[in-house]
Amino acid sequence: MQPDATTISEMLASSDIAAEVQTVLLGVVARVSPSDAVEALAAFKAAGYESLVDFDGIDTGEAVELTWRVRSYALDLEACVKATLPYDGEIHSVWNVYPSALMPERETAELFGLKLAGHPNPKRLFTTDGVEPLLRKDVLIRTVEEVKNR
Amino acid sequence: MSDPRVDIMRVGLLSEGTHDPGTPPAGIRRAPAGVDGLTTEHLIINMGPQHPSTHGVLRMLIEVDGEEIVTAEASVGYLHRGIEKLAEHRKFNALGTLMDRGDYVSGIHGELAVALAVERLMEIEVPAKADWIRSLVGEINRIASHLIWYGTFGLDTGAMGQFLYAMRDREALLDILEAITGQRMTFNYVRPGGVVADLPEGIDDKIRAFCDTFDRYLDEHEALLGGNEIFQARVKGIGVIDAEKALAFGLTGANLRAAGVDFDVRKARPYAAYPELDFEVPLGTTGDAWDRYVVRMGEMRQAARMIRQCIDGMPEGDYTAKVSKALRPPAGEVYASVESARGETGIHLVTDGGDTPYRMHYRGGSLFALQALEDIVPGHLIADVVMMIGSTDIMLGELDR
Repeated sequence: MQPDATTISEMLASSDIAAEVQTVLLGVVARVSPSDAVEALAAFKAAGYESLVDFDGIDTGEAVELTWRVRSYALDLEACVKATLPYDGEIHSVWNVYPSALMPERETAELFGLKLAGHPNPKRLFTTDGVEPLLRKDVLIRTVEEVKNR
Repeated sequence: MSDPRVDIMRVGLLSEGTHDPGTPPAGIRRAPAGVDGLTTEHLIINMGPQHPSTHGVLRMLIEVDGEEIVTAEASVGYLHRGIEKLAEHRKFNALGTLMDRGDYVSGIHGELAVALAVERLMEIEVPAKADWIRSLVGEINRIASHLIWYGTFGLDTGAMGQFLYAMRDREALLDILEAITGQRMTFNYVRPGGVVADLPEGIDDKIRAFCDTFDRYLDEHEALLGGNEIFQARVKGIGVIDAEKALAFGLTGANLRAAGVDFDVRKARPYAAYPELDFEVPLGTTGDAWDRYVVRMGEMRQAARMIRQCIDGMPEGDYTAKVSKALRPPAGEVYASVESARGETGIHLVTDGGDTPYRMHYRGGSLFALQALEDIVPGHLIADVVMMIGSTDIMLGELDR
């Protein structure tokens, strides 16, 4: 189920991608720079990870950490790629490598207020124009008291 | 002043026999291949969000050349409630209430995914009985969810009778779930550590009685809809998502297995009591709407088989581990997934040592199925769109979150 971290390191190194690969509770995680993310995912695709099963972001308080989860059904392996983007950063779309990124990328871009580059349809997915990036930590939702005293 | 209607009539019509479809609205992708040799004035048709065949509040914008579709774009977000943001303000025990309202037709699976994530972070050992109860209610919920799909999918094709019979069986299942969990849809029954309450006395007889009749009813369901030639003509060869496309678009669950890919989270990443249950994973071959129908009908049969095994093999003991009501998992990051009625339901949970999640991402099967729909709809007829939406069994509550 989990690939060997050394194998992943060697695979990314052979594609000239600098990556820090660790095995943690989340699984085997390869941390790459945002500019290398597309190449790193292409390397995973070439290594037989035929499906991107999930893509999301985490606001760490200083930046947005993006997580791609790729899976090989044939080899029964699963791994994660992570990259940290500044708040004013740009997600480089990986839809050419994994078409399943199309909608999750739009969702992540709108909910974290990020720009989306190289996407064929870079519109908002869920919310309308003007809605704040809801998943950012500096966007607060109302408390029960605030709703009552509106 | 000129009559604006005259200008409208001229749009797109250059001269007899030629046509300039013009620039489509921003974001709409045009089908790479032409539909036929004859072109007419292209129309943009708005399907939904209140269209009865969109199974919730899905809006599809389709550009048509006569009856045939050239491009399609899905517009979603009508049910977006910000579940992921709300989760950051809920205690770990209360996350199930949000998940129930995500995929509200098979809530147990969402609750279970969250519970598994928290248990993995806190290294909680779940009692055997809790695992078996989880599988039991999960499979009951799977049949209830598939019955809704079966009934409404038939409605999409113009059939009526099967919907009434499906509702009859689903009511019996919801009665059982109500007796076990106290609720008919938003259960809030599976919590980190186990389940909220033990099985009520006498419930095993009720479940056995249901299973005894359901096998026969399932034969009737299959004959009633699957044996209907009109239904077969409308779904066979329609909306083909082959294995390559299914993997490219991240499909999971019955939609993936209909294309022949043998992956079921219950087998591949075993959880609850599934390692001890004997069941088969139905597979399709071509990945068309008919295969998706056949796989889901097979899944109902397998679920009924597992329900019997759960009742017969239910171990004695506690229904929950001894866990605090104010859970504080250590700082960490984990991904847990279950096989829900709509595919893989995954929870990516990030904690910082506090009593609420730092971040909770909810991965559902419907969003990925919808992306594939955008790709396969062009080239079909307008009437086939509802077949394709219906056959993928997308749930807008889960998709929009």
